[in-house]
Amino acid sequence: MSLAAWVRRARTPAPAPVAREVAFLEPADLFDLEIKDDPEASPVLCCTGDPVGAAAFNALWLKRIAASGRYAAAVSVRGQGGTPAAAGGVEARAHDVVQAAVAVPRQTVLIGHREGASWAALAAGRYPAAGLVLVSPRQFPKQPPKPVGEPPVLLVVSESEAQSKEAQAVTDAYGVAPLTFAGSPDDVFKGAAAEGLLDAVLSWLAPKQ
Amino acid sequence: MQEYSSQAAYDRGEAVCVIGAGASGLIAVKNLRENGFEVDCYERDTVLGGLWNPQNQHSPLYPNTHLVTSRSQTEIPDFPMPDDWPDYPSATQMLTYLTSYAKHFGLSEHIWYGSEIAAVEPVEGSRFEVIVKPAAGNAARRLRYAAVIIATGHHWAPNLPSYPGQDQYRGTVLHSSQLKDASRLRGKHVLVVGGGNSGVDLACEAAVNAAGCVHSVRRDTWHLPKYLGGEPADYALNRLGARPKFLRRFLTDRLLNGPARLAARMGIEVPGRGPGGEEPVRNGRYLEHVGDGSIRRRGEVARFDGYDVAFADGTEMRPDLVVFATGYRPQITCVAAPLLGVEGTGGTPQLMARMFSPKSQTLAVAGLVEPGVGVLPIVHWQTHAIARWLQVRKSDPERAKNFRDQVQSETTGQADGPGAASPRHRLAVDAEEYLASLARIIDTLEQEPAK
Ligand SMILES: Cc1cc2nc3c(=O)[nH]c(=O)nc-3n(C[C@H](O)[C@H](O)[C@H](O)COP(=O)(O)OP(=O)(O)OC[C@H]3O[C@@H](n4cnc5c(N)ncnc54)[C@H](O)[C@@H]3O)c2cc1C
Repeated sequence: MSLAAWVRRARTPAPAPVAREVAFLEPADLFDLEIKDDPEASPVLCCTGDPVGAAAFNALWLKRIAASGRYAAAVSVRGQGGTPAAAGGVEARAHDVVQAAVAVPRQTVLIGHREGASWAALAAGRYPAAGLVLVSPRQFPKQPPKPVGEPPVLLVVSESEAQSKEAQAVTDAYGVAPLTFAGSPDDVFKGAAAEGLLDAVLSWLAPKQ
Repeated sequence: MQEYSSQAAYDRGEAVCVIGAGASGLIAVKNLRENGFEVDCYERDTVLGGLWNPQNQHSPLYPNTHLVTSRSQTEIPDFPMPDDWPDYPSATQMLTYLTSYAKHFGLSEHIWYGSEIAAVEPVEGSRFEVIVKPAAGNAARRLRYAAVIIATGHHWAPNLPSYPGQDQYRGTVLHSSQLKDASRLRGKHVLVVGGGNSGVDLACEAAVNAAGCVHSVRRDTWHLPKYLGGEPADYALNRLGARPKFLRRFLTDRLLNGPARLAARMGIEVPGRGPGGEEPVRNGRYLEHVGDGSIRRRGEVARFDGYDVAFADGTEMRPDLVVFATGYRPQITCVAAPLLGVEGTGGTPQLMARMFSPKSQTLAVAGLVEPGVGVLPIVHWQTHAIARWLQVRKSDPERAKNFRDQVQSETTGQADGPGAASPRHRLAVDAEEYLASLARIIDTLEQEPAK
């Protein structure tokens, strides 16, 4: 974030605070001796535009991320899942993501799905994410902020979206080519396609952070 | 520093040395690491957090210290405080915050505790040799760095006045930093000397705990409550900065009218049109205590006499306890004075843009300003600029030149800033102007160079 952007924000009313629902899983919680907590690996924080919020990641994502040795978390922004609704548009939701990110014990990767990708991108303009992963972004800001601390960015879209305007816009904004996965962009939480997608994300993360 | 043996120095190559692990040092380490530098941070104490850590041997915290700046104006720009914290967090919360910042960004592994830096000496070109004060019986360690950032704070050397007869005074005298526990005030007639934030906070503590409180103030300053117009005062005033100039003056006057009238009623002559650059006092309770008589204001102390204290207005009192809330002297002893632009002994550093050494391109000081608003955001942008500069200095001669020109022009005229009038306020800057200056400096490092 630029100094000018911060000056503007410090003069803008902060969104009303809400008690956010956060789900998390640590590698040790899996009770599997094969799985080692990797203190070098960045934690991962997920969010999605799906109204169920954090709970969407319970079936597969959190377990799989934790099994890779990482602290895994997901947040429900205002109005999703167990987080009460409160005033504020995308900026307030991005604020919820930033607040969840600073509560993660270490510098975290942000993964956003659908509208969640937009919130994660806005959040990465204020918080130095260890990495930014955008999965099938929707309603993406026209000019997303430059991510603070220049984290690596990954764009993942379904094959059907590969040529979409949205994917093209994100590619242009960050200068990254999309990775594609088979299956529906709204159905990334369980099933074989979801597992394939998640493994691709985790292996992209592995050598970098 | 000949007293240290000439043991060979360990060369740390391109690494940068940060001195001090208070808020400023931690922010410096984080921003340097984010820009790809290897960093060694040396902290003389055994804990991080600097003055916010009561375990720090010299901590200046006094009973019930709370922030005087509000949360949104105090938090580090890229690491907000939890939004369920109060508008004005306590010293304990501030330490929790700094600790979680250090943990979040893995800063601790770069900090060497119990390592006081005794000296920083320029060697071969732009490099520095740093001497770590030896623990008893050991040889001093010497290390070489590509650059040094000093973040040792300026609240460690109590500034004690000396009034006639003070040496023979028979009562108890403490500096604000020595009063750790409000129970020391209980049942006593207390004299608090000093009209800054510490003095005013302590007078309020005495108003509710002591048998009586007299508050001696030499010079009137702006008194702001912690809230204005239903919002934290610093935020409310900052927000007006977004308004057009002509409206702004009007709105500011309107916002400050109430507090100014109340202060006037209590006999406080407020200087100028607004708090401007000089640190205002931010305490909503003080004037009410003056109004209900639990704090009695006096002018300057004239002399001490046995058990008595006489004031300039001719009145006298016999306090059980005198608390000097007379601030601190900025003091950086580990570097030769000329490197910091200090003239004579005991002078204040004269830095380029209030952070760069006038003599060396690779020596900078973080946090040596009193902006009258939250300090941490200012230090964030200072250290962001320093880290970018250290990158650009070698790799990009064109930007480097623009940067040097800009810093030079930002420095010209800084001597007559808001603090010029009083020696105790030499570190004062007008926050809005200083941030604009930092923005211009950062632009030379990040924008396409202007042809
Ligand atoms: C009572 C009080 C209240 C305040 N309230 C506010 C407020 O409400 N809002 C606000 O924004 N600011 C406030 N401040 C200002 C405060 O200075 C900053 O918030 C901030 O804590 C400054 O941090 P620092 O790292 O620059 O200095 P410090 O916290 O002083 O840290 C300096 C560190 O350097 C170490 N050190 C010193 N010399 C050496 C050496 N030679 N070698 C190695 N280590 C060394 C020290 O041990 C210390 O840990 C307040 C200050 C005081 C005294």
